[in-house]
Amino acid sequence: MNINTIKKEFPIFDKKIQNNDLVYLDSANSSQKPKVVIDRINEFYTKQFSNVGRSVHYLAVAATNLYENTRSSVQKYINAKDKNEIVFTKGATEALNLVANTLGQKYLEEGDEILLTELEHHSNYVPWHYLRKSKNIKINFAEINEDGEVPIENIEKKITPKTKVIAINHLSNVTGAILPIKEITELAHSKGIIVVVDGCQGGPHLKLDMQDLDCDFYAISCHKMYGPTGLGILYGKKKWLEELPPYQGGGGMIKEVKKDRITYGDLPNKYEAGTMATAQVIAFDQSIKFLESIGIENIIKHEKELIEYGQEILRKNNSVKLIGNPKNKGGVLSFIIQGVHPHDIATILDEDGVAIRAGHHCCQILHDKLEIPASARASIGVYNIKSDFDQLNESINKCKKIFDLK
Amino acid sequence: MNLKELYQEIILEHGKNPRNLRKTENFTKDAKGNNPLCGDIVHVYLKLNEQRKVEDISFEGSGCAISMASASIMTDLIKGKSDNEAKEIIEDFLGMIKENPELKSNILKEDDKTKLMCFSGVKQYPMRVKCATLSWHTLISAMENDGKEISIES
Repeated sequence: MNINTIKKEFPIFDKKIQNNDLVYLDSANSSQKPKVVIDRINEFYTKQFSNVGRSVHYLAVAATNLYENTRSSVQKYINAKDKNEIVFTKGATEALNLVANTLGQKYLEEGDEILLTELEHHSNYVPWHYLRKSKNIKINFAEINEDGEVPIENIEKKITPKTKVIAINHLSNVTGAILPIKEITELAHSKGIIVVVDGCQGGPHLKLDMQDLDCDFYAISCHKMYGPTGLGILYGKKKWLEELPPYQGGGGMIKEVKKDRITYGDLPNKYEAGTMATAQVIAFDQSIKFLESIGIENIIKHEKELIEYGQEILRKNNSVKLIGNPKNKGGVLSFIIQGVHPHDIATILDEDGVAIRAGHHCCQILHDKLEIPASARASIGVYNIKSDFDQLNESINKCKKIFDLK
Repeated sequence: MNLKELYQEIILEHGKNPRNLRKTENFTKDAKGNNPLCGDIVHVYLKLNEQRKVEDISFEGSGCAISMASASIMTDLIKGKSDNEAKEIIEDFLGMIKENPELKSNILKEDDKTKLMCFSGVKQYPMRVKCATLSWHTLISAMENDGKEISIES
């Protein structure tokens, strides 16, 4: 598939949004969906629908096979050793809550420490904060440097003999910094520390190779990977998923239920209680195929060129200040304009069909550190092209004119 | 939609140079308001005298042009009013932002009404309504929050 014509695979770009061509620069929030994914959901509900893993009738067996096919596709795509290391969740948020909760139940003890970074999204902080309350766990933060990245030295500095878990993002949703997960895992494992990766932004932009990264857990957000909403994936090493207790109780996750005892199902059912997001799982197989048809190397190359182009253009624009300058960067360009609040920027850009996000992007710790209440963020996907940044720049100039800036 | 209606001269001017952006000394009531969605924060301080007249009102915080201008104009108009008059103005403003085409209160002078009507443009931007109303809701909570009343004598 040719990356320069990929936009036509996404029906949303055929529509005018408030009489404008859509310049979608909010993919870090959620990506648009290719036609194959949209069609697959329709097809499943139209021709193939049944619940999975329960009944023996024809449709139930067929749906179960389709559901499990996606698990195998994901296993292959992220290079997991075992299909049962792939657990479907309702989102990356639930995946991270699952890890924090079950580690808290069985593995962590009072006084243990968890190491996060100042770049973390609230989804990779709040679930750990619960343990601070319930188990008296201490949370430490590895600091960012002036370029908005977290070098491994800053992580090493904050490791103590009590550190049991390092929970870090793969790619920052604000500064775009790509963290050296492989090196961090090597360091952590040499000290017996578990590594949990928030891969929300890694999923769509980076090569996912669990054998190479060697992390213990990796959380994926499917709707940021050209897939449906309501679906996430938790990759976990088999030894951990087997050892840890279930997260939620209900149908589908049990082996035997008696009045005086309950035994739990095997992997991955143990972590998939209740009716799952069946149509979304089945459609996500198409997202994986879509990504594979382009090739992650081509995506990385295309997005690197785009981000460099965007950086170059915004750097030339007076009064625009980019947030962070990481050497290894992907996916997002966050910025502020002195004298115009990000919400005003976002509203004015929207008038031209340019969709960005304004706010703290669920990273209040980072914005406090940077001493700014909010920022504007342009984030990309495979469908973006250089002219999107030309339009962004033009609309930024419109903001400056309205606010009487030079 | 019309950006010119949203970003009127008077809003841009108050947004850039907000009035009463400070902390009232010896305030008698205060409240904090925030919009967790966007991170806007406002802290309103109020000094009521014995006749329940607003002797001083001020605010601290940060936010977009709409929210800063709204807090700025609000504090300007509420200063010197009795608490009942203040409540009437608040109700009138929030009613206008929500549904009413005009302001109804007789307490406000015509040019004060013109200032407040500048915010009618946010009706077309549902996501921005909170920016215009945050400081007003915070003022209500400050006025109703008797538990937080601070004694001037102490």
